[in-house]
Amino acid sequence: MAVIHEVARTRRAATEHRKGDGRAAALFLAPWFVGLVLITAFPLLASLYLSFTDYSLLRAPGWVGIENYTAMFSDPRFFQALKVTFTYVIVSVPLQLVAALGLALVLDKGLKGLAFYRSIYYLPSLLGASVAIAILWRQVFGADGLINQVLAFFGIEGQGWVSHPDYALGTLIVLNVWTFGAPMVIFLAGLRQVPTMYYEAAAIDGAGRLRQFRNITVPLLTPIIFFNLVLQLIGAFQTFTQAYIVSGGTGGPVDSTLFYTLYLYEKGFGSFEMGYASAMAWFLLLIIAGMTAVNFVASKYWVFYDD
Amino acid sequence: MRVTIHRRTRRGVALVALMASGALALSACSGDSGAMPNDDGGGDGDVEIRYAWWGSDDRHQTTQEIIDLFEEKNPGITVTPDFTDWDGYWDKLATATAAGDTPDVITQEERYLSEYASQDIVADLGELGVDTSEIPAETLATGTIDDTLYGVATGVNAYAMVADPQIFADAGVEMPDDTTWTWEDYVDVAGKLSKGAGDGVWGTQDYGFNEAGLAVLARQKGETLYTPDGELGLSKETVAEFFQVSLDLMANEGQPDASRSVEYQNAGPEGSLLGTNAGAMGVWWSNQLGALSDASGRELELLRLPGESQFERTGMYFKPAMYYSISATTEHPEESAKFVDFLLNDPEVAALQLTDRGLPSNTTVRESILPELTAADQKVAEFMEGLESDVVDNPPVPPQGSSEMQDIMIRINTEVLFGNLTPDEAADAFLKGVGAAIGG
Repeated sequence: MAVIHEVARTRRAATEHRKGDGRAAALFLAPWFVGLVLITAFPLLASLYLSFTDYSLLRAPGWVGIENYTAMFSDPRFFQALKVTFTYVIVSVPLQLVAALGLALVLDKGLKGLAFYRSIYYLPSLLGASVAIAILWRQVFGADGLINQVLAFFGIEGQGWVSHPDYALGTLIVLNVWTFGAPMVIFLAGLRQVPTMYYEAAAIDGAGRLRQFRNITVPLLTPIIFFNLVLQLIGAFQTFTQAYIVSGGTGGPVDSTLFYTLYLYEKGFGSFEMGYASAMAWFLLLIIAGMTAVNFVASKYWVFYDD
Repeated sequence: MRVTIHRRTRRGVALVALMASGALALSACSGDSGAMPNDDGGGDGDVEIRYAWWGSDDRHQTTQEIIDLFEEKNPGITVTPDFTDWDGYWDKLATATAAGDTPDVITQEERYLSEYASQDIVADLGELGVDTSEIPAETLATGTIDDTLYGVATGVNAYAMVADPQIFADAGVEMPDDTTWTWEDYVDVAGKLSKGAGDGVWGTQDYGFNEAGLAVLARQKGETLYTPDGELGLSKETVAEFFQVSLDLMANEGQPDASRSVEYQNAGPEGSLLGTNAGAMGVWWSNQLGALSDASGRELELLRLPGESQFERTGMYFKPAMYYSISATTEHPEESAKFVDFLLNDPEVAALQLTDRGLPSNTTVRESILPELTAADQKVAEFMEGLESDVVDNPPVPPQGSSEMQDIMIRINTEVLFGNLTPDEAADAFLKGVGAAIGG
């Protein structure tokens, strides 16, 4: 009997203790939860509502149904923005990942002063989306900028790269590729996880470096590649700062750098078409969610989980 | 160990992807918090009014001095400063207005005044009894919509040709007589300057990125950018002619190639042809003469735009630099009006502000600060005075949606410079684009 009482008491104590834990948990979660509701969830839902209205900020929103969404599809600048953004994503993300993986492989070879090189190569990632770098880019690729001075040394007359409609987007792609540091660091971590015994075994069987890379490194690295791909894709779709600064906020020259987010901003805060801008934001969410879903489905066929 | 890491990676990917796509896409724009330190000790049942403006650090400092002066002279009224840079200003003002928190005294600008007036967000200053007796009627007209005074011009600027006499001299080209030169003369002079001044120095900077040049040309031909009813008042021929001038200037190398023109356009006064001693002419707002002179280190001159005696009439005009407006929903209309009155009419305000908000619209006050002005600003004042008798009228307040015209202008002009559009096609595209912006 005494034992049973003892057990019951312990249980009760444990329950009370757990209840106390729950309250503490709720308390600790509260700041996050309040933030989530007020700063993320509420504006998110508000923008969904606004996307069905005509809202200029100065006037109360008026319900227009799906008009904003249908208007998008007869807006040539909207299509231009899609074209620019997709070109950018499709070209710059793979290039960036290749650069990141390539450098990670080099750095993984136990270089002396690895930490130093890793920091150096990571630096552009920290700076890439900053205003200062965008301004620097404008100088480097300007008509009398660094690139053209180098070209002039070889007797080639270059042109204003950022100010020419045919090349402006290219300079932004180069800028994005240059910021390969973040995926590179993740690749480095991934490479460290590949057990050396695989390589030893392969070497004994006579596999060369290339073969080892193709048959051991790449398959074991696919989850990391996938992770980087998804993150960089999402990031690239939302590119804003670089385009805003390099083009002076216009998406120019001649809309050649009119990124989706830039056009969204211009619509919302330039011409105060908040309803249209909200609709664009939700459409972008659909695009990104769609792309990510496709990625996950496709990943079944090429990503190798070693478990 | 590795297995768990990989599992976690997979789940991590899904989670991060979801959060990144959701949260980032939708909460894309985060403005500045905008809270301004209110260090005025005030208190004691003070009436508090909020004054919103945009500008540089210099302006913020002078404005704070002006506020201090006002509070000193008007015990019982506290003025809370609310300032930001130009780009953030309109985002912030619109957001504050949407939240029902419109500042009591608002600085306004031409392209936005109609929008705010049409929603009755800004009050009738005539009704509030702001003293405007020292301000010329045609200046007041620039802030009047449907006989209601929604904003009083703080000061005026003119769109003018800035010229560097030294490059003219170096190139052996005579300065044109700006009361008689034609648009053809302009192209011709620029070409000669480029040839005469040697490598890397150009005749002029492309003028097609700013609609003000088009406004002057249109007015010379008896047309106007916008009619008083807020319609487009331009013929296609005039717009095409405007773009043709740029092409002629590229053909005779009076101005740089297309991509350089785009770059100089983005470089502001400091990086412009005039500012870097790499060009003899450029069109600018008269209040930019100081910045241009400082950057160039030379004594620059102001000229009227070409064509002033070529067509039906003169096209030059005075543009209100900005306006003072008062919120229609302010709780303290009387105090707000008193403050605007002070800003417009007190000579001490002008002595602090000088030409920072344009050459003061109050002519008595303007007179009183002339000796205090820098050499460049004195030149501006002189130029404006000379213009006074030749300006026929000022353009009406542009309609809602007109803030898009500049963007459209930049886009289409760039296409023209790169040869993607002929002047005719450009004129069509321009009229269509602006028509849609002000009609929608």
